Amino acid sequence: MIQRVNTDLKKDLLKLGVKDWNECFHCGNCTAICPLSENELLFPRKVIRQAQMGLETSLQANVSPWMCYYCGECSDTCPRDANPGELMMSLRRYLTSIYDWTGLSRLFYTNKYMEFAAIIGLAIIVILLFAIWGPPLDPSLTSEGGVKINSFAPIKWIELGDWSMAVVVGALLISNILHMFYKVIIKPGVKIPLTTYITELWKLPTHFATQAKFRKCDAKGKFYWGAHWLMMTGYTVMFTMIVVFLPEFQVEKVNDWWHWQRLLGYYSTFGLLFGLIFVIIGRIKQNNQIFKFSHLSDWLFIIMLFLTTISGIMLHLFRVGGMPYATYYTYIAHIAILIPMICIEVPFSKWSHLAYRPFAIYFAALKKEAKELEYKTNLSPEAA
Amino acid sequence: MEEIRIGVYICWCGTNISRMVDVEDVARELSEMPGVVISKDYKYMCSDPGQALIIKDIKEHKLNRVVVSACSPRIHELTFRKALENAGLNPYMFQMANIREQVSWVHDDREKATKKAKALVAAAINRVKWHESLDKRTVSINPSTLVIGGGIAGITAALELADTGSPVYLIEKTTELGGNMAKIDLTFPYLNSARQIIQEKIERTEHHPNIHIFKNTVVDEIFGYIGNFNSIIGQNGSEIDLKFGNIVVATGLKPFDPSGLENYGYGKFPDVITSLEFEKKLLSGNILTNEGKDPENVVIIHCVGSRNRSEHEYCSRTCCMTALKYANQLRSAIPDANIYQAYADMRAFGKGCEELYTSTSRKGIMFLMFDQQNDLPVIKKAEPGDSCNMLIEMNEKLSGEKIEIPADMVILMVGLEAHEDAKKISHTVGISLDGNSFFMEKHPKLDPVATTTSGVYVVGNCQAPKDIPDTITQAKAATARIMGTIKQGEVEVEVITAVVNEDICCGCQTCIQVCPYTAITYDVVKGVSVVNEAICKGCGTCGSACPTGAIRSRHFTDNQILSQIKGLLSKSLELKEV
Repeated sequence: MIQRVNTDLKKDLLKLGVKDWNECFHCGNCTAICPLSENELLFPRKVIRQAQMGLETSLQANVSPWMCYYCGECSDTCPRDANPGELMMSLRRYLTSIYDWTGLSRLFYTNKYMEFAAIIGLAIIVILLFAIWGPPLDPSLTSEGGVKINSFAPIKWIELGDWSMAVVVGALLISNILHMFYKVIIKPGVKIPLTTYITELWKLPTHFATQAKFRKCDAKGKFYWGAHWLMMTGYTVMFTMIVVFLPEFQVEKVNDWWHWQRLLGYYSTFGLLFGLIFVIIGRIKQNNQIFKFSHLSDWLFIIMLFLTTISGIMLHLFRVGGMPYATYYTYIAHIAILIPMICIEVPFSKWSHLAYRPFAIYFAALKKEAKELEYKTNLSPEAA
Repeated sequence: MEEIRIGVYICWCGTNISRMVDVEDVARELSEMPGVVISKDYKYMCSDPGQALIIKDIKEHKLNRVVVSACSPRIHELTFRKALENAGLNPYMFQMANIREQVSWVHDDREKATKKAKALVAAAINRVKWHESLDKRTVSINPSTLVIGGGIAGITAALELADTGSPVYLIEKTTELGGNMAKIDLTFPYLNSARQIIQEKIERTEHHPNIHIFKNTVVDEIFGYIGNFNSIIGQNGSEIDLKFGNIVVATGLKPFDPSGLENYGYGKFPDVITSLEFEKKLLSGNILTNEGKDPENVVIIHCVGSRNRSEHEYCSRTCCMTALKYANQLRSAIPDANIYQAYADMRAFGKGCEELYTSTSRKGIMFLMFDQQNDLPVIKKAEPGDSCNMLIEMNEKLSGEKIEIPADMVILMVGLEAHEDAKKISHTVGISLDGNSFFMEKHPKLDPVATTTSGVYVVGNCQAPKDIPDTITQAKAATARIMGTIKQGEVEVEVITAVVNEDICCGCQTCIQVCPYTAITYDVVKGVSVVNEAICKGCGTCGSACPTGAIRSRHFTDNQILSQIKGLLSKSLELKEV
């Protein structure tokens, strides 16, 4: 297949935050040093080449940016300081904007005013919802001394909100993954037998839960995988509790501290705080490759997650402390940060990587199997 | 006739020879040959004590012939001749037997190798008995120099020589001085104006009192030899007889014509232009496409006509850097243009060139690599809906993808090739061409300026493609050599030459036809051939071709050769018995 060079692609990538354009002269040191690059899918040199040359189709079908967790070995080794790690990160941004069929991702990545407007707009909507339809604030406490949180924010309404948000965001994310599937597997014409789809399926939950590949980046005493895993599990636990087990989670009664509801809450708070502080200090200090370059979207994601966590902690303290007004206002603030964070970040921005990374590993495995099958077919006597 | 007293010296060459040849046995056995006064072996004959040994023996034992059996005469014949001279002997009373390259290094049977060494030394002993004293000869040097070619090479040589006060005749085929350099805009790697440099030199050349310029002129015939050449050139209808002592050949090269390469569509697409045509655009100050628009996508294709089995296998050496220069000039002129370098290998070897590559590669220039041997890019017409006129299809090696690049201007980096009249010039001045019709230097490493014809020097691109600094270096090197001969006033010429016995010569002129140096002429009055000993290199071709035996090659007489063979056979018969 002949690919037309897209001369505008580099302008597009520059808009999405690619730092340096010209330095790479394709020595391949980055690919040689990368702990994750494998024979079946060598990177980053090749994908850098596709990006440089404007080979749009190949670039969009290439999942290797998702294989990279930015340990920074490549950028340290690069003889021309071309920052291959940074380019891989920017390419993840590019691919996110490509997978997203609505175009909102591109809009938010390239236009900071629109991104802020969307976040603030959603927050205002949440506040207005509480202000207009919310029940009057009840300062009295329950007979057990708990804040009457369920009368302020009735479980069924909050659950309805949770689930409708989950459905909308989930639908957007799934449609984007299907679009990714089209770009990666269908458009390049990769032929994969149905059985392979099934036999390789275990990779999806495994990599989602363990992020095992990331561990390979933790050489030389780094703790990226650990910090990231704590943050991810902390978040997942909390998300599951507020969406699936809301009636057990949002309670007026103050449980004993060893109660599972409180223990799980403390675990996820610890995980989130530890990971977030690790990342925030790193990004401020910028003394490791992984934290050297921060796009606005990187900062927004961290800040919103941090504010969500802090408001969640405060909400808990006020509730346990029996302070009704503080609890109610913090609750509104908490939701007003949480909703834009999930609605903007999950389908359209940085957070989408929670889905794209495992799927990229899955698709890469499918492609590898397809290649081996094709090789075997060509070797067989019938083919000759 | 005086008594023949031969000294024989067998060299060990450390263990190089002694490991495979029983040198002591050789020395002992050959001491018994008639005429041999002493026969010795020594660790390193070429060392100072080794030479001192020979000199001492010559004096003590009144030796009048010397045989050294050691390495190749190519390496140390001159060393030992010098030793003989220092001892008061004529240096040609010497013969060398090569028992290293021809024996110890190539055999693995010590006994047989020793026998062979004996045979070779015996041959040398037999030969040296017939050696005659030969005397050095010199010719005077005319201080004028003929420079053929008025490009940067010829102009530089002419100015250097003229500045020392020597007259120079500068011959230029076209109507203007300056050559190829006058046709280019900037030089690489520092992007200085070529015009400024060459213009100043042209003006100085044209007004120099010691330089006589003949434009629109070609040299048809040159007679004579080093120090005493002459030529008659036509000028404005009259003929001028020039006399000169040395010749500088600086005829340059011409750009390759890409019309024959169908894949590049030169001549078919108006916006496919050669590098020199692009230089014209640069000099005129506007880089526009055929339609008069600023090009948005410019593709520069390297190695057109170079480094390819079907055109020229050699590298033209200047095009890579010129292409980078174009990228810089394009980037300055049209900052938003997409500039592509389609290259095979980027060669940036000169001073400042790697730096030029590095800085250029940081200016948003896309480097695309193709296979120069088997898979050249193809230029196609774009479809009606496309924004550009042409599409360049290529297999890009660094991405492994088959791609097409939109282009509205393509610059073909054409290589350099010999002028059509290179062969004619080589005949006129009496030098050789290599397989690419470049003039051959005397030695590719040790003497890349002189030629096998004494007094003739090759400078600049006519010897091989090179950039301006290399050309100037070579031109100045040639002038230094010429100045050396002019200063000495005379120059030594080869003494091992052919001589004609006029009594026997039948005037068949066979020798004239076979002489590779045009050293033999025919004396019509006497009806015999005459050897010009200043030109003769003593190759012996005439001697072997002469049907009557009238031509005798000095130092290679029949007696010398025949007795050498006799000596060889006397020992090699024994060799067979082993």
